[in-house]
Amino acid sequence: MSRQGNVEFWYKTLEQGFANGDPSFYAILVALLVGIITLFVVFIRLGKKNNRRGILMMGACDGGKTLMFSRLTANKYVETYTSIKENTGNYELTGDKTGTLRMIDLPGHERLRSQYFDQYKASARGIMFVVDSASLQKDIKDVAECLYTILTDGFVSSAAVPILIACNKQDLTLAKGAKVVQKQLEKEMNTLRVTRSAALEGTSDTGNNNTFLGRRDRDFQFADLKPFTVDFVECSARGSNGTDGDGELNQVIDWLQKIA
Amino acid sequence: MLDLFTIFSKGGIVLWCFQSTSEIFTPSVNALIKSVILQERGGNNAFDHEALTLKYKLDNEFELVFVVAYQKILQLSYVDKFLNDIQMEFRDKYKDDLTQGNLSRNFNFTEDFKTLLKIAEDNVRKEAQKPKVMKSFEESQKSKKTVASMIENKKETPKSVKEQKKKAAEAMKVAKAAEQTTVSNGTLDEETIRKNIEKKFGLNKKPKAEKAKTESPDANKKKGKQARKWDKGGTAKEMRELDFSAANGDGDKGKDRDLDETLPTEEDLAMLGSMSGNLGDLEEESSEEEEESEEEEEDTPVQQKSAGKSKGFGMFNVFKGLVGSKTLTRDDIQDVLNKMRDHLISKNVAADIAAKLCDSVATKLEGKVLGTFNTVASTVRNTLQEACVQLLSPKRRIDILRDAMEAKQQNRPYTIVFCGVNGVGKSTNLAKVSFWLVENGFRVLIAACDTFRAGAVEQLRTHTRKLNALHPPTKHNGMQMVQLYEQGYGKDAAGIAMQAVNYARDYKLDVTLIDTAGRMQDNEPLMRALAKLIKVNQPDLVLFVGEALVGNEAVDQLTKFNQALADHSQMENPRLIDGIVLTKFDTIDDKVGAAVSMTYITGQPIVFVGTGQTYTDLKNLNAKAVVSALLK
Repeated sequence: MSRQGNVEFWYKTLEQGFANGDPSFYAILVALLVGIITLFVVFIRLGKKNNRRGILMMGACDGGKTLMFSRLTANKYVETYTSIKENTGNYELTGDKTGTLRMIDLPGHERLRSQYFDQYKASARGIMFVVDSASLQKDIKDVAECLYTILTDGFVSSAAVPILIACNKQDLTLAKGAKVVQKQLEKEMNTLRVTRSAALEGTSDTGNNNTFLGRRDRDFQFADLKPFTVDFVECSARGSNGTDGDGELNQVIDWLQKIA
Repeated sequence: MLDLFTIFSKGGIVLWCFQSTSEIFTPSVNALIKSVILQERGGNNAFDHEALTLKYKLDNEFELVFVVAYQKILQLSYVDKFLNDIQMEFRDKYKDDLTQGNLSRNFNFTEDFKTLLKIAEDNVRKEAQKPKVMKSFEESQKSKKTVASMIENKKETPKSVKEQKKKAAEAMKVAKAAEQTTVSNGTLDEETIRKNIEKKFGLNKKPKAEKAKTESPDANKKKGKQARKWDKGGTAKEMRELDFSAANGDGDKGKDRDLDETLPTEEDLAMLGSMSGNLGDLEEESSEEEEESEEEEEDTPVQQKSAGKSKGFGMFNVFKGLVGSKTLTRDDIQDVLNKMRDHLISKNVAADIAAKLCDSVATKLEGKVLGTFNTVASTVRNTLQEACVQLLSPKRRIDILRDAMEAKQQNRPYTIVFCGVNGVGKSTNLAKVSFWLVENGFRVLIAACDTFRAGAVEQLRTHTRKLNALHPPTKHNGMQMVQLYEQGYGKDAAGIAMQAVNYARDYKLDVTLIDTAGRMQDNEPLMRALAKLIKVNQPDLVLFVGEALVGNEAVDQLTKFNQALADHSQMENPRLIDGIVLTKFDTIDDKVGAAVSMTYITGQPIVFVGTGQTYTDLKNLNAKAVVSALLK
């Protein structure tokens, strides 16, 4: 049967079906339509790449995550204590990009960190790592360890989630600048990647994550973490006098605009 | 009189705060959160920090925390009630905002707070002005004691009743079988058989009588002193009435009663099957853990309770259940919690730790709104799982290699002391740790401070020789990687340890591992010696070596070791145990409870896990794997 004959045959069948008004014919037609629509919807969903809208705010305790969260979501100054649970809220984008980002402020306490990170990492569009620039000298080991766990995480490295290291508390006189923070963290990460890759295996079969960060032939640099982009910015969630509408988060907001 | 009253969300955002002084309270509140709420010590709500006493209350429905702080020297009796009042008032006033999760508004609560505080303080003043009356029975220590013991009984009796019921059913079967056989044999007459059955049922009646006894003081509790005569059960007269055992049940009356009361048990059992079809919710979760026969019986009270409730509201309740606006109360979760506690104990968690954990979970869940398709059992289970993971995740960084590296830069040896009771594997695991350190390029000095047990030094010497054979000096620029420092037997361990640390410093060795003699926690002279060793040497890490096989004993060992180190050091801030080595982990299968008990008591992380006899059998603890084994 020729191609034209084939088309003709189907056309005829269709015409006949309409003429007869056979209910089963209509049923088949509707079913076909529904199937096609469903396929379309599924394709559209899949085609829309990276629909993760969450920005995880992480970092050690007392870094100023919750205050920054409050500043970004409600533009309000609040007193805070150690978080027991996560805070979530929406951040409205301004400027050329529109839409909202879901800000998720995770507790920084060691006991809770990993649990909440595992819970929320799948929705991470970006990770904001908040560092207390004033007490960095003292807490450098803990801060670096926390950052190391994030960087070596399977999901984060496979999805190449962009990371912002926000050097908070710039309002304090003894605060270190972003350059110094970066240098210190790089130095600490350099030792940490040696000790951590030599750490013992876990008790279960899964083993521990022994990814080696950066390049083996030279000292650790954030620039070497190829799939990642790690940015450093200075900011101050408290601002000069701690009132509503205060606070210097311009660079953080720029970053949010960039990755949105 | 209150220094601070603050209301904040669980996320850490302060909603409202009252402060009577200009002191900074943030560190105190943070300390409360870190050392009480996050350590799963939710059962007790008071906490002392420096000169302050802090009390807190969790509101699980709206995820709020209420904290009050006052000077430790003040005895404020109204605080607990006041916390409750404020909680109610605050919830009422801002219900709409709280339900919508709108925490960014301004909460002008100061007026209400001041009125409530004034009322509370006035009440106290009035109380104080009244002539002092004698303590009533309820206030005395004694009444508390009775209540406490009663609660224990209450927990136990229902279980025993169930067990007895089960036994009754079994006994019935056995008796029936016996009847059949004996009838066919014709050796026993029917009268004896019935008596036998009665004897068995008579046994089963006893717990019911006990229950009646324990419940009655509950009812009489408020009557005051009268209740005391119930302390150890009823009078002789009542006992005869309540005793349905075979001896008294000889008469016809007794017999009838026995039979009447035993029959329903069968009906109950028959009912069980029919009901579980409709109300299967709770069972689904629990069916994994319990044997079927047990489960049927244990679930009954819960099912019946929910059935009773649904009858009251009819159709509406069905929809309500679907929408999931059910708020959890203590009673709802108690049954599931009891079961969870038993499960934890069966997994080798120390009994009182299991109870405390369940208490903490209860405080966390009380008032929480149940999600749409969540059952009580699954909610409790998830919360318990979270709590256990949280407990087992270390509260501080543990990276021995990093710290040893830092010590090396400072030109001093990194010192680790291993202590523990006899035969838990201190020396074996010390050898494993030194192998791991040597593999990572550290030079190790082993100090043989077990100067007591015969062969202890020789054991370490053998290990040293073997380790040196595995890592010969030729591979490490001609340096001997492992050395042994020993002074023979019978000397003072603290002195040897100090000499060893000095030796390590002089010869530029990186890590000193101090092996101590095993000692029982009750042996005071030896505990004193250990405290001295630790005080003199100030090691970087004090590791307690404990075997994973222990159950309730773990609590005793660890508390006594910690106590001894605190008592005998005569220092302001004594060195306590910094970490735990859990040995013989390969022998326990899924009974991983010791890990939970040990971390709960000390709050310290499990640094190493020993899983075998060879040098490579040293692992890190995987908290998630342990918890899933625990709740399996």
